[in-house]
Amino acid sequence: MQRDYSTRRYTWVAIILHWVMALGIATLVVMGLAMTHLKLEPTRLFELYQLHKSIGITVFLAAFLRLAWRLSHRPPDLPEAMPAVEKAAATSGHLLLYAFLFALPVTGWALVSASVFNIPTVLYGIVPWPDLPLLPTLDGKAPVEALLKLVHAYGAYALMALVAVHAAAAFRHHFITGDDVLMRMLPHHRQLPAVPSPTKEHSP
Amino acid sequence: MTSFQRAAIRFAVPGLLMTVLVATTSVANAANWKLDLGKSKLGFSGTQTGMKFQGVFTRYNAVIEFDPDHLDTSHIAVSVDLASATTNDNQRDATLPGKDWFDAAQFPAATFETSAIRRKGADDYEAVGTLTLRGVTKPLTLPFTLEMNGTSAHAKGHAELIRSAFGIGQGPWTTDQWVALNVGVNIDVTATRAN
Repeated sequence: MQRDYSTRRYTWVAIILHWVMALGIATLVVMGLAMTHLKLEPTRLFELYQLHKSIGITVFLAAFLRLAWRLSHRPPDLPEAMPAVEKAAATSGHLLLYAFLFALPVTGWALVSASVFNIPTVLYGIVPWPDLPLLPTLDGKAPVEALLKLVHAYGAYALMALVAVHAAAAFRHHFITGDDVLMRMLPHHRQLPAVPSPTKEHSP
Repeated sequence: MTSFQRAAIRFAVPGLLMTVLVATTSVANAANWKLDLGKSKLGFSGTQTGMKFQGVFTRYNAVIEFDPDHLDTSHIAVSVDLASATTNDNQRDATLPGKDWFDAAQFPAATFETSAIRRKGADDYEAVGTLTLRGVTKPLTLPFTLEMNGTSAHAKGHAELIRSAFGIGQGPWTTDQWVALNVGVNIDVTATRAN
């Protein structure tokens, strides 16, 4: 497979997917917290739930695109100067983030499927989206729904913590370590200086 | 049950009901009227999370034997395909035929059959009868106005129902927390005299 090592940046597609999904996830978190912690009027609450489902499934579908892109496009290498333990932490952190991109929507989808409300999901009021199998026809749905609700909520808190660490690491790279790890994921017109060979080149 | 079987039942049951109703009422001597479906509307209204919405049934039919001078032999039987409800909202339309609401798979048709039609004023009538919905039969009186124009007749009427009386809205929907219990039925139909 032909690969382009001439840049230290992520590809435009990877950058767009990253930030669109980041925006989607931030929106979902705010909505989710509002849905469960604010006393909203029923209309607003109902609409929020429907939109949360639509955005959540959108992020879920985008995660497949993202994974396919990630597997077919090698990301820029981590800075040579990074200690091995940090590299390992970065790799496992990113793996975990990817896992959450799939797992959290699935718990939400399961929760909707097991809901005693039996509200069909229609994405953005237009595209019908099916329930997961088995869950809608369970005999005692209420306890299953309650359990899935907990799983989805604590999963969301765990993802929030993970994203906080992810963002803190990016800021540390930028402001303390002084490398280009944050910059290469930012939409930027100017190309970062190309690395002639992927082996040497240490920052001063 | 396969979707084909469901579809077959959905169409067969109202058809059978109509046949039975026609057979049992054919002794009457009031004129037969045929619904002009293109000029008729069988509507309903409800309130979801405080917001009113309107809907229509797109598939229904009626056997109408009516003569304003022979109300004692007049008789109306209406059959409504409950899977045909549309409210201009994909999500609501997908919800309505479901098990918690109309349960159209098990109860494909709603029927209204009059036991008496009474004149209340010059153009004002009331149809007294029973409504069968989701397997529950309850008395219902439908007031309507009627304009006769030769062989054409235009009727408009409105009735209020309590959906919970018919089991429309199960589980968390049995209360009015999300969807009001009061629903309206609006008829605006035109019929042509058949004989």
